Amino acid sequence: MGLARTGALTLLALLAGLAIPLLATSSNLLGMFTQAVIYAIFALGVGVLLKQNGLVSFGHALFFGAAGYGMGVVLALGWMPAEWAMLAVLLAIGVLAFLIGLVIVRVPGIAFGMLTLAIGQMAYLLASRARGVTGGADGLSVNWPPTLFGLPQSLLLKPATLFVISWVLMVLVTLALVLILRTRFGAITEAIRDNEERARFIGFATTVPRALVYALSAVVSGIAGLLSVFNTGFISPENLHWSVSAITLLMVVVGGFKRTLGPIVGAILYFVCKDLLGDWATHSMALFGAALIAVIVFSPDGITGALARLRERLRYGPLKKGSPP
Amino acid sequence: MLTIHLFNGLVYGALLIVMSSGLALIYGLRRVVNFAHGALYMLGAYLGYSVAQHSNFWVALLLAPIIMAVVGVLLDRYGFRLLQDHEPLNVMLVTFGLLLILEDLVVFIWGKTNLSLFTPDLLNFSVDLLGNEVPAYRLGVIAVGAAVALGLTLWLRFSRIGLFVRAASTDPVTTSMQGVNTDALSATVVGLGCALAGLAGVVAGPFLSLSPHMSSDVLIDSFVVVVIGGLGSLAGAFIAALLLGMTQAIGAVYLPEVSVLLPFMFMTAVLIWKPSGLAGSRT
Repeated sequence: MGLARTGALTLLALLAGLAIPLLATSSNLLGMFTQAVIYAIFALGVGVLLKQNGLVSFGHALFFGAAGYGMGVVLALGWMPAEWAMLAVLLAIGVLAFLIGLVIVRVPGIAFGMLTLAIGQMAYLLASRARGVTGGADGLSVNWPPTLFGLPQSLLLKPATLFVISWVLMVLVTLALVLILRTRFGAITEAIRDNEERARFIGFATTVPRALVYALSAVVSGIAGLLSVFNTGFISPENLHWSVSAITLLMVVVGGFKRTLGPIVGAILYFVCKDLLGDWATHSMALFGAALIAVIVFSPDGITGALARLRERLRYGPLKKGSPP
Repeated sequence: MLTIHLFNGLVYGALLIVMSSGLALIYGLRRVVNFAHGALYMLGAYLGYSVAQHSNFWVALLLAPIIMAVVGVLLDRYGFRLLQDHEPLNVMLVTFGLLLILEDLVVFIWGKTNLSLFTPDLLNFSVDLLGNEVPAYRLGVIAVGAAVALGLTLWLRFSRIGLFVRAASTDPVTTSMQGVNTDALSATVVGLGCALAGLAGVVAGPFLSLSPHMSSDVLIDSFVVVVIGGLGSLAGAFIAALLLGMTQAIGAVYLPEVSVLLPFMFMTAVLIWKPSGLAGSRT
């Protein structure tokens, strides 16, 4: 899709984001939407790694939580104002992820998943034990300053404002990902994903681009982590547990990882369903497990993949004998 | 005091031997990393609890693994076999979905409170070991672990089916071309693997309490064991299980902060240095 069309859709998305708080009256509903959007950004991070590198990470909660802990520690130590701290934390996450990526992206298949699981659990255990720095199992309060970017906290913490900020960030992150992946860099990483050996034979360095994608996915997850810790003002080791990564992965797979919007669809569906379930909410995980199994068996591309195929079928009709390929 | 810690490490190591051998067998034959293995362990434990409520521990010890074996056969026939052409990652996610379902099922049937499976009267005494008092039951656990390790090794090495299992783990296509019914074989092995998980659950009951969390605690440790030992290798899993049990028991006392990280550091190192065990020797 052309640049103009992308721009138009982005604008539409931004406007929709501004409209939603006007339609959703209850602040609980808005709060739930905000959480959904934050996890949508997190899912985008996990999804871009799966989409561009073909790598499944069970440990991305590390970056989600590291952002929160990073902010908590930096603000507690008072090294720099919150605005700069956010940038610094994201930069640190990016660099750390790049270095980790350089080592681990060469590990193939399931081994990579297990590796990310191990790394994620190490981070979880470190956060649970290091009482001095991270507050241990009790978690850490993040003391945001009274004003951020000149806006007072009272305004920023209103449910509507939180939602709009999260939504705008989600749209901008999606746009950034779409644009980055449309460049030559995106094409190279897709080639490496499809056949690493052949890409190497053609002459591409295959480790650095994949590590860059890993770093990108980490930064996106970090952005979600920052938003989350701004939303709640608190971070605990539970945010780093592998189950958090796994559930986000679930959102990505159910939504469909092959399309950029897939993870967003998955995340929003997860939260909406959890909310709609009401009394049945205790069984929500079983239902998501069943949904995951159903999706993988019947439509490994996820919901967005199924919708895309439906659209193709409606547009072109089922393949008939003798029709052009 | 050290002997007690080493002993406890041996006990947990024995439990991990039973768990991880099931995991290794299932991977060897179906190339599936069974995320649901911890949940199967938990299901076995809870089933054992229910059976023990109506009769006694020994009946539970016999019945729960049998029920889990049936579950395993069904899992293979209607799960792994139908998904065998899918990417391994997809099947792994399916087992994760199964984990979620099973965890919810256990809470739904048995509730969230911690339950206790009581030590059977026959083993409810203390034994003097090198000057320390140890519960006889724990000696029993070590015995079970040793029996499983020995039994599996002998079975794989000397029996006809064991030969088929080894062959199918190495090259399933050629093995089936030779006339071995690899589907029936896989069902048997997955059933056995799940039975082992169930056995581990019942055995663990009296000395670890039953809770909905028990599946994730033991799952990660089982993964660590199986990765460090080499995903298809049983002998490696046995050694790694004992090592892990020991490191955790000793480390918890002397080096608490670091000891929990050691298994994962090892796992990371193994995966980075030699992922070939997991990447699938099957091309």
